[in-house]
Amino acid sequence: MPENGKMFKPLDPLLHSELRLAVMSILIDAESADFVYLKAETGATSGNLSVQLDKLQQAGYIEVTKGFKGKMPQTVCRITDKGKDAFAAYVEALRSYISTDKG
Amino acid sequence: MKKTERKNSNKNLQNNLVYKINYFTFASDLKMTRCATGVETFKNQRTMENNFSAENSLRLISETIERSRRTMAKNSGKPMILWGTLVAVTSVIIYFLWSKTGTPMWNLLWFAMSAIGAVCSYKMGRNHEKVPASEINRILGKVWMWFGIFATGFYAVLWIVACIRYAAHMDGVVGVDMTMIILMMMGLCGAISGSVMNQKAVSASSVIATALAVIYLLLLPDGSPAQILTFLILGVFALIIPGVILQRKTRA
Repeated sequence: MPENGKMFKPLDPLLHSELRLAVMSILIDAESADFVYLKAETGATSGNLSVQLDKLQQAGYIEVTKGFKGKMPQTVCRITDKGKDAFAAYVEALRSYISTDKG
Repeated sequence: MKKTERKNSNKNLQNNLVYKINYFTFASDLKMTRCATGVETFKNQRTMENNFSAENSLRLISETIERSRRTMAKNSGKPMILWGTLVAVTSVIIYFLWSKTGTPMWNLLWFAMSAIGAVCSYKMGRNHEKVPASEINRILGKVWMWFGIFATGFYAVLWIVACIRYAAHMDGVVGVDMTMIILMMMGLCGAISGSVMNQKAVSASSVIATALAVIYLLLLPDGSPAQILTFLILGVFALIIPGVILQRKTRA
C-alpha cells in the first residue's frame, strides 16, 4: 500500500508482459492484424509470438481465425470486447501507479 | 609377472583417464548445453514475463501504437491522389466535350470514371504490402465510399427523371443544381477527412476549395459547361493536395 493510503489497482499479469502488451497495443488500434504483421511489428520469433497469442486467446482477450489467403495459410487476430476492457483497465491501473508515484 | 601386472595397471589407469576425460568432456558439454538452455529460457522469460515499471509499460504501449499507426498509414494518401486526379482529368475532358458538342450528355463519363477508379483502387490495394486497416483508414474509406454512393445514386436518379420527363414530352430539365449539391457533399467529405486525420490544413483546404468553387459556380450563367470545372478545383484542393500532404507525412 502506498504512503498516502491509497490502494494500488492490481495489474493484469497477462498484459504485464512486453510481447503480449505490444500485441494488444497493435490490436487495440487495428481492426485486425495477421500473424506476419504482428511478427514484423513486435520483432518476436514465430514460436514466442505463437505462444503469447495462444495465452491471450485462452484468456478471451483476442480471437484467432486460421484460414487461407489464396494458397497461403493466414492467421488473423482480432481483439475482443473483453480484451478491450482488460486493456483499458490495465492502462488505468498504470496511470494510478504513476500518479501515486508523482503525488 | 610384476611387469605384466604393472602394464595392465597402467593400461587400466590410461583407460580410466580416457574415460574420465571423455566423461568430463561429455559432462561439460551437457552442463554447457544445460547452461545455454537455461540462458535461452531466461532470455525468453525476460521477453515474455518481464516485470517492467509502469512508465515503461506506458512507453511501450505508446511506442507500439505509434509505430503500428505509421505502418498502417503508409500509402493512405495514394487513394486520395488517385481519385483527385481522376476527378480533375474527367472534369477537364467533360468540359471540352460539352463545350465542343453543346450537350451535357458527356456527364455520363462520371460513371466511367467511377468504374475506372474502382478498378485502380482494387489493383492499388492488392499491390501494396498487406497492412491492417487502422480506425482512421476505415473511417476515411467509409466517408468517401458513401460520398461515391450518394453522388453516383444522385446522378443516376436525376438522369432517370430527366429521361422520364423527356419521354412524357415535358421539359427535360430537372430543376435541381446537381453540380452544387455534389460540390457541397465533396467539400464536406474533404473537411471530415481532414478532421479524422487531425490535419487542419486538409480541412481548411477543402473548405476554401468548396467556397471558391461555389462562388465560381454562382458567377457562371445557367447551364454553362464551365460549371464542371468546379470539380477540377475540388479534385485538386480537396483530394490531390490533402493526399500529397498525407503521403509526405507518412513517408517522413
